[in-house]
Amino acid sequence: MTLLPRGSLPVLLAAGLVASVSVQAATAQTVVTQWDQFAMAGITAAGPAMDELIGTCEPDLGGATVLRTIAPSIGIRDSYRLAVSANKTPDLAYTWPAASVLAGYARVGALAPLDDYYEQYGWEGINDFYRGRNSFEGAIYGVPMEQDLMGVYYNPALFEENGIAVPTTYAEFQAAAEAFKEKGITPIAFGNRDRWPATNTLSLLLGLSAGKAVEEEVLFGDTPWANEQFKLAAETFQSWAENGYFPNGFNGIGYDEANALFLSGRAAMTITGTWVLQDMARGASFDLGVFMLPPVADGVAPGTMWGEGSQWQVSANASQEVKDAAAAYIDCLISPASREVWVEKGFLVPIGTTPEELEQWDALPIVKSFYSQGLATPDANFYDLHTTLPESVTQVLYAELQRLIGGDATADEFLGAMDTAWQTAIDNGERWVP
Amino acid sequence: MLTTRSAYLFLAPSLALYLLFVGLPILQVFGFSFFDWDNGIAGDFIGLANYGRLLGDGVFWTALWHNAIWVVLTLAFPLLAGLVIAAILAERNANVVRWLGAIYFIPRTIPLVVAGIIWGWIYNPIFGLLNFGLEAVGLGGLAGAWLAQDNTALLSLNVVGAWTFFGFCVIIYLAAIQSIDPALYEAASIDGASWWRKFRDLTVPLLRGSTLFLGLYAAIEAMRFFDLVWVTTQGGPGYATEVLTTHIYKTFFLVGDFGYAATLSVVLLIIVLSISAGAFALLRKP
Repeated sequence: MTLLPRGSLPVLLAAGLVASVSVQAATAQTVVTQWDQFAMAGITAAGPAMDELIGTCEPDLGGATVLRTIAPSIGIRDSYRLAVSANKTPDLAYTWPAASVLAGYARVGALAPLDDYYEQYGWEGINDFYRGRNSFEGAIYGVPMEQDLMGVYYNPALFEENGIAVPTTYAEFQAAAEAFKEKGITPIAFGNRDRWPATNTLSLLLGLSAGKAVEEEVLFGDTPWANEQFKLAAETFQSWAENGYFPNGFNGIGYDEANALFLSGRAAMTITGTWVLQDMARGASFDLGVFMLPPVADGVAPGTMWGEGSQWQVSANASQEVKDAAAAYIDCLISPASREVWVEKGFLVPIGTTPEELEQWDALPIVKSFYSQGLATPDANFYDLHTTLPESVTQVLYAELQRLIGGDATADEFLGAMDTAWQTAIDNGERWVP
Repeated sequence: MLTTRSAYLFLAPSLALYLLFVGLPILQVFGFSFFDWDNGIAGDFIGLANYGRLLGDGVFWTALWHNAIWVVLTLAFPLLAGLVIAAILAERNANVVRWLGAIYFIPRTIPLVVAGIIWGWIYNPIFGLLNFGLEAVGLGGLAGAWLAQDNTALLSLNVVGAWTFFGFCVIIYLAAIQSIDPALYEAASIDGASWWRKFRDLTVPLLRGSTLFLGLYAAIEAMRFFDLVWVTTQGGPGYATEVLTTHIYKTFFLVGDFGYAATLSVVLLIIVLSISAGAFALLRKP
């Protein structure tokens, strides 16, 4: 008895062969595995833009596809470090923070140098400053994309109701904070239970107390942390806490809780960055305003903390085909057309975006306002400690800052602890220098 | 007929699994501690240099001190309260014992991460239930930022630890008390012994085995505490709630210094094994 009709065997064999070839073709397809931190809400909530751009860019990758994994912004740097140690890095990753940590991965050979792709694609929007921030020992290892800026979000209605003008000098800022405090309104919503928010505030205060040049002398030169300008920044931060500008128990309040305090109208201001613009814009029940904190010290130029924040990086382990596809994909992601998508759908303003472009694009007024003010002082803008310090120093900074603003350490003790950690990092070759 | 050899044969599969998943990783961690690591990548062999670092690591000594405080407080409060409550409950109606025992045990069934989140809300300086309650009863002056202050953070966390452990102590002591021969209590009553006298001279001595077990368990738990601290304070503010496990976690996962994290882990292992050895020696004594 035969189970198959006569003549069907060759047909089935041929069909099997075709199917096998198809499967092989499918399995041979280039797949770029991607980790990124673009969530749908919270910090760096550019998920909708990322989704759209994968759809836009994939057809131009010569058949390659992108396999995306979203890792929360808070945990991605730790996840990536584990992946490096296990030699299991994704082909392409978008992580924070930048320079110093990126250099650490380059140092151990985990990242692919991207100089050839910079030459191939131009990427003119990424200037020498940003290229330097993504370099290690003469090679470029990252493609920075977003620009992070710090500013003071404020509640214009509360300012108006209480007859307080938006400050243009540091003295006016202090007077405004005092006035709010006297009226029983928390001047600055601030929560540091998560340990990292205070680092951004200190980054801002260091720049406004010391200026970019002194910062560079400390971060890239031989000047110690324990200098007069840095001490002024530390004392200023501590005085804000002591003077009651922050809510009671700020070291036990989460970052999101502090933002909620501000968005609910129970605090007049909050000092944070552009990475939370989407949540701020969506959550505010009032017309949101933003201004740049004025210089704390006399003679320091106005400016703000800015940085590339995060960057695209390609694994050294990826095959050449995957590296090529990843580079083509990055080229698409940072193109002018894509930048518009990042701005409009992701509330994220990529490097190279001009204020004129922002005006033309369909961005919220708060986005335009934040970036037009923050990008108005490009020469004076200063460093983000998160992207400049090696991780070993960052971990000391987190704890010591909690002690400083909690009143458990003096400014001198804080700076002394930082100098000790800093010197250890230098001795271990962990310091990133442009 | 069962022989020693056949007994070992029966034990072999589980022993092999134990060696593979417990013994081998311990040896691996021990090996890690002799190398210099950079971002999770092994570098040069550096001998005992990582162990030398321990002496100058202030965070390590602070964390160790906090662990010691935690052990003492955990031994003191949940065990003592558990013993007294169990002794009182043992004389009550069986239904009451069953219900109250179950209620006391509920916190033990809650994962520590969840307990941490719940108590984080209770202690929250903005909307915390504790401050709200204090204000409601006119004790607003006592309200504070419990987990945000250097002088209250560790103690506040220990209260949570005690809350999760207390019910377990009650149940263990209850079971042990119920296994004591009632004739001993009857004889003591006939001799005119008070409740306190019976508790002190009968219950406490006869519960020595349970106390040693709970003490050992509590001490080991106190040394390896991590989840509760991490979800509530991450060791902060500053180093106020830093314990060995959080120090290890930060060194390993956040800094990527696997060598020093392994060294800290070896020290923790030695401490836990020493506590265990001491407790087992006590348990063997008649």
